[in-house]
Amino acid sequence: MIKLDGVTKIYGHDTLAVDDVSFDVAKGDFVFLVGPSGSGKSTLLRLMSREEVATQGDVWVAGRNVCEMPPSRVPYLRRSLGNIFQDYKLLLNKTVFENVAFALEVIGKPRHVIREQVPFVLELVGLADKSERFPNQLSGGEQQRVSIARAFVNRPLIMLADEPTGNLDPATSEGIMSLLQEINETGTTVVMATHDHRVVNAMRRRVIQLDRGLVVRDQERGVYE
Amino acid sequence: MLARIEYALRETWASFRRNLTLTLAAVLTSAIALLLVGATFLIQRAFENLLVQWRGDVAMIVFVRSDASPEQVALIDGTLRAAPSVIDVDKLRYLDKAESYAEAQRIFVGDPVTLSLLTPESIPTQFKVVPITQDTDLVRSLADQYRTLPGVEAVALAEDEFEVISTLSGFVRNVTLIMSLVLLAVAVGLIWNTIRTAMFARRREIEVMKLVGATNWFIRIPFMLEGLLQGLIGGVVSCAGVWALNSAWSGGVAAFKPGTGISSLVVPGGYLSGVMLVLLVLGAAIGAIGSAIAASRFLDV
Repeated sequence: MIKLDGVTKIYGHDTLAVDDVSFDVAKGDFVFLVGPSGSGKSTLLRLMSREEVATQGDVWVAGRNVCEMPPSRVPYLRRSLGNIFQDYKLLLNKTVFENVAFALEVIGKPRHVIREQVPFVLELVGLADKSERFPNQLSGGEQQRVSIARAFVNRPLIMLADEPTGNLDPATSEGIMSLLQEINETGTTVVMATHDHRVVNAMRRRVIQLDRGLVVRDQERGVYE
Repeated sequence: MLARIEYALRETWASFRRNLTLTLAAVLTSAIALLLVGATFLIQRAFENLLVQWRGDVAMIVFVRSDASPEQVALIDGTLRAAPSVIDVDKLRYLDKAESYAEAQRIFVGDPVTLSLLTPESIPTQFKVVPITQDTDLVRSLADQYRTLPGVEAVALAEDEFEVISTLSGFVRNVTLIMSLVLLAVAVGLIWNTIRTAMFARRREIEVMKLVGATNWFIRIPFMLEGLLQGLIGGVVSCAGVWALNSAWSGGVAAFKPGTGISSLVVPGGYLSGVMLVLLVLGAAIGAIGSAIAASRFLDV
């Protein structure tokens, strides 16, 4: 589903973020990218969603080489990806329902699809009763659920999560992780960057550890060290 | 498809209202710029009426009495052709009654009283004379000579009637043209700035849109429509302005005494509609240009 082949990313002239990284992620996998701040986790996610382009090497996502993709094709790549972030990136002037609907609206989905899909996915993340609230009327964990609903509503092949539990307390994080696991069980590949020991150790899934842009460990059923 | 169009229109309208102050500034500036463009067109057209009889380097017009005999006309023609060192005989033109009447209809367009006194029968015919020489004194002495010929009603010299107006017309054209070009550029700049501000205000939305896979065109179109709308509204306002100006001017001109020449300075209604159409198209164009530049440059907010 995802294949990185000798990927190097240099920001500006000399800031080496990712250094000759290669790995494969199979369909349906759940992968943690771990490592300290600045180790290149976020850069790898940004390379996969083509917010950045590799300086060297190839990045394959869902069978397409995203480095050689013309810019006009990038939106269609993004439609097969769901992105979630530490800061949720919700639109504060829109309700929960509108935030999720927005993702379908801007890719031109007709209204009957929106009316059908949005309540379904809000039910899935457990926010069916709060669909008319605004984001700042919700707790952090609830806001992250909205952002997961928005990422998942278009049934992406891959979920890319950048520190999704970074702002949440342990109990709330646990809820978010079981939601991501549920989504993973539907066959969606999940790649999650984190430095949250507890969630990594609790899940026991594949762990790719980065240090200063290099892969230093790639372990099935790993823990955070 | 329908959902996309609906989305674009809804967003355009919402953004239009959100930035009301900036939008008003952009609309007014484009309206004023376009008004000046329209005024330039009208002024030029009005001057043209006045100058039409001198078109093509004509420097002297010999008016022939309407009751002159064909022999007298032939004599005048012969006399004019007898001075090939002063007169360009190849360009010498005789306007018969029908042609002279057609020309008079343009000259006296704003002066119905004078026009009503003229008929195709009573109108003087005319020889249009293009001189070869630059020596104006020589042309003037010839004119004095022609006045004495039988059948000649009057001889008019461009030097006396035409040159002041021609110079004035050129000056007014240059000034208004430069001013309108500058203002048009300002209008494009203001629309550009309004759209840029609108995009900046909605940068989070744009970020999310890109994240979930909206195409750049999908993101751009509401902003471009907004700019187009601003330019178009400016165009409509300028049309109203041009129409009001022209009505006031035509009304004022009609009050002048007949035969003073000022009465030529009006434009026909068909020309006015043409100018208004040009202003609408031009307004839409400046809106489209300003917003297109903004929307393509600031998509990475």
